[in-house]
Formats: sequence, C-alpha cells, structure tokens
Amino acid sequence: MNNMKLINLQKISKTFYKEDKVELKVLSDISLSVKKGECFTIIGPNGSGKTTLLRILGLLENPTEGNIYFAGKDITNLSRKETVTFRRKFSFVRQKPLVLNTSVANNIAYGLKVRGLEREEILSKVKEILEFIGLKGLANKNARSLSGGEIQRVAIAMNFVLPSEIYLLDEVSANLDLRNVTLLDDLITKLKQDKEKTIILSTHDPLEAIKYADRIAVLNNGKISQINTPEIIFTSPKDEFTAQFVGFENIFSGLAEIEQETGLSLIKINDLTITSSTQIEGSVKVCIRPESIIISKDPPANVSTRNSFEGKIDQIRDLGNICHLIVACNFEKFLVSITKASLEKLNIKLNSALYINFKATDVKCL
Amino acid sequence: MADELVQGFIQAFILIVTFDQEIWEIIFLSIRVSGSATFLATITALPIGSYLGPREFRAKKTISNLINTFMGFPPVVMGLIIFLLLSRSGPLGSAGLLYTTTAMIIAQFFLALPIIIGTTKAAIESVDPALKETVQSLGSTEGQLWWELIKESKKSIIAGIVIAFGQALSEVGAVMIVGGNIRWHTRTFTTAIVLQTRMGEFGMAIALGLVLIIITFILNYTLTHLQTKNE
Repeated sequence: MNNMKLINLQKISKTFYKEDKVELKVLSDISLSVKKGECFTIIGPNGSGKTTLLRILGLLENPTEGNIYFAGKDITNLSRKETVTFRRKFSFVRQKPLVLNTSVANNIAYGLKVRGLEREEILSKVKEILEFIGLKGLANKNARSLSGGEIQRVAIAMNFVLPSEIYLLDEVSANLDLRNVTLLDDLITKLKQDKEKTIILSTHDPLEAIKYADRIAVLNNGKISQINTPEIIFTSPKDEFTAQFVGFENIFSGLAEIEQETGLSLIKINDLTITSSTQIEGSVKVCIRPESIIISKDPPANVSTRNSFEGKIDQIRDLGNICHLIVACNFEKFLVSITKASLEKLNIKLNSALYINFKATDVKCL
Repeated sequence: MADELVQGFIQAFILIVTFDQEIWEIIFLSIRVSGSATFLATITALPIGSYLGPREFRAKKTISNLINTFMGFPPVVMGLIIFLLLSRSGPLGSAGLLYTTTAMIIAQFFLALPIIIGTTKAAIESVDPALKETVQSLGSTEGQLWWELIKESKKSIIAGIVIAFGQALSEVGAVMIVGGNIRWHTRTFTTAIVLQTRMGEFGMAIALGLVLIIITFILNYTLTHLQTKNE
C-alpha cells in the first residue's frame, strides 16, 4: 500500500482559449505519479505552469487533455457532487492567501463546517490550531482586519486543520514573513513524518526543494524536463535548462552533532565527516556548491581548512571554459567546478589522485 | 399662494400628529405593496443574478444589455403592459386582478426585478475569482459556495434591494394604471399626492410628501451606514 501511486497524471495538457482562438498553452503532456506519504516537489521558474498544475491536481481546473487518477480511479471529469468529494481529500495553500470576511475562528472552521463535522469537534480543532499558530487572542477578530503576516497564518491554519490526504502547497514560502516560514517548516516536517499524508509542493527555490523533496519534477515552460531525487537532479541535470535553473549542488544526507570546544557541527556522511559552521544536530541534508570546492595536488598546508578529503577523478566533463569534475572520495562523489586553465595547470587526468578542500562556512545545512 | 402653502403645512402637521386614519392607511398600503414586490423580486433575483454573475457564455452580453435596459424601464409603460395583460379582455383577464393590490405588486415586482438582478450580478462578478477558488478548495459544495459569494457581496446586494424598494415606493405611473387609485383599497403615497394636489387639498398632499421624504431619507441613511461600515 505504501508504494502505490496515489496520484497519477497521464498526458495532462492545459490550453487557455479566448473566443476559440488558441491563447496560451500552459501545460503540455505532463505525466507523473506521486506515491503515498511522499513529498513531491515541482520546481520551475515563474510562469512555468506550476500553479496551473496544482490547480488541476486540486480539481479547481479541468485539463484540456489527459487524465488524473486518484488511487487508480479516474477523477478527470467527475460530476459536480463527486468533484466535491475528491476535492475534500486535498488541502490547497495558495501563493497569495485569502480569507473570508468573518472572524478568524470562523475562517478556520469553514472547511470543517462544510464537511458537516460536529460543533464540539470543530471548536476543539479550531482551538488547538489557534494555539499552535499563536493567534488565540485574535479568534473573534475579523480576519480581513489583520496584518499581512497574520492573514498568512490564518490561511495556513484554514488548510492544515482539514483532515486531508494530500497537501498542495503553491509557492507558500515565497510571500511569508520569517516567523511564518518557521511555522510552515514545522507543519511540513510534521506532515512528512506522517506516512499517511502526501505533500505536493511547488517552488522556484532550489534550496527549498532540496530541503523537503523526496522527488523533484523540473517544470520548464509547461513541460517536465526531469523527474528524480534531489541528489540526482542537482548533480546530474538532464538538460541545460535544468542545470542553469537549479544550479549544481553537492547534496548529502548525514547525521550532525555539535563539537563542544569549537561549536562547529560535525556531520557524518558514511565514512566522511564534514564540518559545518552552521550549528545543527540530528539528521540533516548538506549542500556544497561546486565552485566552493578547491582542488589541490597535495594536502593543504593550512590546517585551518577543516574539510579536506583525498579522492580520485572519476569523470571529467568539458563545458567550454569551465570543466566539471566528479571526484570520488571513498563512497561519496563530489561535483567540482574548475576553469579549463586550472585543469591544465594541475594536469588533471582521469583517475589522478588529489585533494578536495572547502571551508566550513561553505557547507550549507538544511 | 404663499398663504395656501402655509395653510397646507399647518394642516399637514395636524394630520400627522393626530394620526389621521386615512394617511396611515395609505402609508401602510404603500409599504405593503412596495415591500412585497421588493421581497418577491429579491428572492427571484438572487438566484438569477448569482447564476449569471460568474459564468461566461455566448448570450451573456445580450442578457446583460437587456437587464441594464430594464433597470431603467419607464414605470408608466410597465403599468400599461400589466394593464393590458390583466384587463378583462387581456390574456390574464379571467383572474380578475385589475385594480387590486396584487396587480400593483406584480407591476412593481417587474420594475424591481431587473434592478436587483443587475446589482447582484455585478456584485458577484466583482468577487475575486481567487476567493471563489479558495472557498471551493476548502471543500464547499455548489450551494455552500453560492451562499459564500452572496455573503461576500452582501453590501452591494443590499444596496440594490434598498434602491429597488425606494424606486417602487416613489413610482407613480404603474400603480396608478393597474391599481386605479381607489380610496382605502389601492391608493398609495404617490397616487394620493397626485389626486389631492389636483383637488387643491394641499394639506394631505404635503403630509404624504413629507412622510415619503422621511422614509426615503431613512432608507438612504441606512444604505450609507451599511456601505461605510467595516471600512
């Protein structure tokens, strides 16, 4: 049950027409599937069709062509009544949050009310989430009279209070203020732990995608250019667009602990221990940009370089002025970006042994 | 003339403070007729207006133009049409409704209907489509969505209803033709003022005119109050 395709899109296209003329082809030939319990991230620049794709998933828009399957059932062209039934399996947090012209408590209760829940149950759920988002004191205020940040929190609560199976999050952190980013982060982390809940998140921020995604779909101009795990997408992008858009990243998962005397974090990734200046503990993902890694033939003379590993050249990709090297350090592979001139100067060939060095401040922890 | 005017005002004052029975009959009848017409028009117009508002279809432009035309439909012509339909030789003559309050309600119903449809349609059209989608995505049924849209645009809708009621109350042509201005039966503010003025009974006419103005003032005040609230 856990590995089954909860959502399956088959050749979804969306064209917006105006007076029978083709106006805008927003999505073409989108096929993807999302497993139960996974966090699936759609990444792409503005205008690539992310919002339309999520609106189609949330049954707020019909695709021009193609089919949507929910647990094997075709939910593309349902009757109005059935559409509502399936829509209630989704929570949809919009990019720009909107609230109803009523009190904060009524706003949060709305989705539960339309589902016909008991009054007592609604009240206790609303109370619980109001406390969680820290708006308990404003429960009876009109939601529209609140500040932008508070409205964002109400909109988040309106959707997270619902007993949904799938959470569609459309560029949610793009407009959030800092405090709400943390709040949303807590909520997403909690959802990710619940294997019954599925998240489909859209973002234009590669780092956000790395942080949450189990799998990423790269959307470019209405087409999917690649679907894979973040590790693969960021280290071996399939096309130029993906490469340019996501930027290259070395991504590793490991276990972090803080070193007492220095206050730095030591992150164990298989047999390597990477030092980061970010204080963090527990399981983390770390990113190191390829251009932050320096190659040397000998071990660094400067002992202050905490991250220095011996490795072997596994691959050389010639990209013109820039070369990409894949350096294997035991089980881990690092992507290193180097100029052609340095490559020649260092006389780097396949299988040559060398050292990779990077600063603790260049290790980003997510 | 100045003397007549002063006399008229004195008489009007006496009629109002002594609760003259005929004046109060006329006031209640007017409010009952226009109120019923507006009420019936409202419950008919809300579903129609909110159905037309968010939808896009081929005939929409034509329908919109038609509604706008009927919003300013001349009451006298409406009176004429209803008269022809209800008169003994007309298609609905057998109902015997001519010169009854029912006939007046029918005429004013058709005058109020396009006003309320038009304002409801415009109000619902102006609701942010993103808000509609938010309500839908929270799991509302069609009916629940409809009710939220009405609530969202209630200020404009109430304004439309108040305007329609005010117009019905001060309209004279239609009620005159289909009601016949029968004393104690179908005589309203406006028809009474016309008659009393012609007969030179200025006291009564002024008294009724004052009451009508006061009612209009209260309606407008309520309207302004509603529209500036919560802003």
